[in-house]
Amino acid sequence: MAASRRIALGVGLLAALVYPLLIQATGYTYFQTVGFLVFIYAMLGVGWNFIGGWAGQFDFGPCIFLATGAYTAALASVHWGWSPWLGMVAAIVVSMAICAVITFPVTRLRGHYFAIATVAMWMIAQPIGATWELINGSRGLFIPLTPAKSSLEAIWTLGWGGRSKALAYYYVALLLFVLTMYLAHRVDRSKLGYYFRAIRDDQEGAEAIGIDSRVYKTAARCLTAAVFAAGGVLYGFWALAVFPDQVLEMNWSVLPMISTVLGGIGRLWGPLLGAVILIPISQVMSATLGAGPLAGRGLDVIVYGIIIMAVAAFRPSGLLSLPWARWFRRG
Amino acid sequence: MTELAQAVVNGLQMGLLYALVAVGLAIIWGLMEMVNFAHGEFMMLGMFGAWWLSSTLGWDPLVAMLPVALAIYGLGVLTYSQLMRRVQRGDAFAQIFATVGLLLFLQNGVVALFTSDYRFVSDTVLSRLSGVQLSILGIKLGVPLLMAGLLALALFVALYLLVDRTEFGLALQATSEDRDAAMLVGIRPQKMFAVAWGLGAALVGIAGVILANFFSVYPQVGLSFTVLAYAIVALGGFGSILGTLCAALLVGVVQSVTVVYLPPAFKDAFVFGSYLLIGLFRPQGLFGRF
Amino acid sequence: MASPLLRVDRCTKQFGGLTANHDVSLEIASDEIVGLIGPNGAGKTTLFNCISGHYHPDEGRIVFDGHDVSRARPDRICHRGVARTWQIVRAFGRMTVLDNVICGALTRTNRLARAEAKALAMLEFTGLRGKEGEMAAALTLADKKRLEITRALATEPRLLLLDEAMSGLTPAETSAAVELVRRVHAAMHLAICVVEHVMEVVMPLSHRVVVLDHGEKIADGAPEVIVRDPQVIAAYLGEHHGQRP
Repeated sequence: MAASRRIALGVGLLAALVYPLLIQATGYTYFQTVGFLVFIYAMLGVGWNFIGGWAGQFDFGPCIFLATGAYTAALASVHWGWSPWLGMVAAIVVSMAICAVITFPVTRLRGHYFAIATVAMWMIAQPIGATWELINGSRGLFIPLTPAKSSLEAIWTLGWGGRSKALAYYYVALLLFVLTMYLAHRVDRSKLGYYFRAIRDDQEGAEAIGIDSRVYKTAARCLTAAVFAAGGVLYGFWALAVFPDQVLEMNWSVLPMISTVLGGIGRLWGPLLGAVILIPISQVMSATLGAGPLAGRGLDVIVYGIIIMAVAAFRPSGLLSLPWARWFRRG
Repeated sequence: MTELAQAVVNGLQMGLLYALVAVGLAIIWGLMEMVNFAHGEFMMLGMFGAWWLSSTLGWDPLVAMLPVALAIYGLGVLTYSQLMRRVQRGDAFAQIFATVGLLLFLQNGVVALFTSDYRFVSDTVLSRLSGVQLSILGIKLGVPLLMAGLLALALFVALYLLVDRTEFGLALQATSEDRDAAMLVGIRPQKMFAVAWGLGAALVGIAGVILANFFSVYPQVGLSFTVLAYAIVALGGFGSILGTLCAALLVGVVQSVTVVYLPPAFKDAFVFGSYLLIGLFRPQGLFGRF
Repeated sequence: MASPLLRVDRCTKQFGGLTANHDVSLEIASDEIVGLIGPNGAGKTTLFNCISGHYHPDEGRIVFDGHDVSRARPDRICHRGVARTWQIVRAFGRMTVLDNVICGALTRTNRLARAEAKALAMLEFTGLRGKEGEMAAALTLADKKRLEITRALATEPRLLLLDEAMSGLTPAETSAAVELVRRVHAAMHLAICVVEHVMEVVMPLSHRVVVLDHGEKIADGAPEVIVRDPQVIAAYLGEHHGQRP
């Protein structure tokens, strides 16, 4: 990696680490939460990039795996007292397994048929989530978290309370984001990454050189599922409760997708760039419209819709494909 | 047994309405090979148009059909000329997220204007007939739904004739098959596509107006109808009008029968499960060529 | 005689009312170059598709290296040792030339470093070294076809199917392509089946020629014999071919 890129990465990481500390001094934890959201959505965007950007299959269903991840960790905590980190491992395993089982059969569908199938899966998941007794159905699953007595314990149980919660969760989100980026980087330069892109470019041609598209499409989606499961665990413990209509919400699939498309689909840094632009837009709009008549009216999503249409019409490859962004791209 | 038969008959009637929802997707977008994830949103706009005209001007949905259809036709043309035209030649991918953006814009635009509250169109001509029932062989046919179904069928047939028998329809088919050849005989593809989008949108918008007589009106109703339309079209095969009608009737019956045996929450789940099964075993649908 | 590498056994393939292949049988030995010719619509590409697994024959069998692959998926068949190129050239347009070939090399190894080394060696062999960093979509047609062949070779095939690899090329590009095929055969000792329209290319290159017409095989033998076969001449070559020096 070129020296300039190393420096840029280092500076970026340093800024990300220092940012919330500066905020902490002012006492406005709200901005830390914004950072938390940016990194969650960026992380999920990188996750979406596996199936959407690299394998090239538009997927609306990752929110299903966010839900399975959140519920697995929550159940483990409720019934066995597991730490969320252990729960995250379980969540990832369970979600990948479910993903493999439900995805492999539909890999024969192409393009928008596959995309619709992922929406159909989500629509089937909704009544299941609302009525399944194991997860308490629509009544929701509450995570019994007592505030930790020491910092070390808090790191283990994610049990921060009060003023340090926003700060701590920011760092956890940042950590997960960094880990996800590392995963993406490794996959990018691996057989998986090559095969994903081959399938995206020309599925039939890929099969002719020995690539089983069913296996690799499923693998891509399972990687997406793993990332979303981890994100689900983080969200669940932050919210201290898991409700089906909150975790199975389509926004969890769509917003990371939008971030990635805006930033540059299939590019490593696309999701972060997109999230950094879009999340603050949403927060600014909430802040300025506040409690007025237009509050909660989805105005930010209207803006997102316009942005996405503009990207599709004028720059489908996203911001990172613009000429001036060359410095930020990998080769 | 009669409960089952009743469910089947109800399902057939709903199926006629679903056919109207799906046919825009099957013919227009099937012919142009373009994706439209905002299909259900045009329907939702039709529903809202009916509701708004009813609540502010007191117009009955039957009357509202024409102005709403015209307005949504215009929206369809606008969508093509400003947005879809630019993504048509590129990746199918770009078409997907272009229409996803449109979905977000339309759905949340309506939320901004009207909130997410559920609304109802009340005291319509059709609903005034709701006391009236035909009874055939012990099976009750509610007149409102029957009338709506027949209306949908009439529009469906009209569309079929338009596409299959008129010069315009032939020009549209020609353009979809070979754009350059069509240009050589004087057809302007851009204009064709714009009109086709307008028609497709208007049709599903009219379906929305009709459905507003029976269903609650809220901004998020679109997506499940988009999936429903895709499921129907996938079952019936893209481009096959007859297939769409049969598939829609089938879907209506499946949905209706499901409710007899399963909790109502699973009504749609069963239909979507069928879509997945079809994708597994017969991707070209029951009638179509993939 | 050793059993053939590929045996097509009465392959029949229909599409609706159209019979693309009817009762076609042929064999290819492991070191042969076989030319597959016939007028447009004779069913050559359909036959290729049946061999490579993109179609499955309605009747008959495809046996490769002793294994019945009639119902196998294309990726399985590639692993067994069949590689192909396409009539309309397909490369992974959004990847570099090198990445394209690496995808082929990954069929035989999981390690990226090894695949990359293999890919570079292949590119050297086929003469595309120096262009490995270019986007595949930006290549000339001749180079794209060469890339397709390189990528196919990276999968270490025992049988290479070339579907009109010379079509659309200038005479100079065509002889370069022919020379490449010869070099490939000499260096790698694989079986090659070439679908071609350009007679001057196929005849000197092939050990044996198979002729299809309207989905049926009408001739199978040495090139010198084929050009004199009256059925072949009638179907395809035209009356004047045999008269050229």
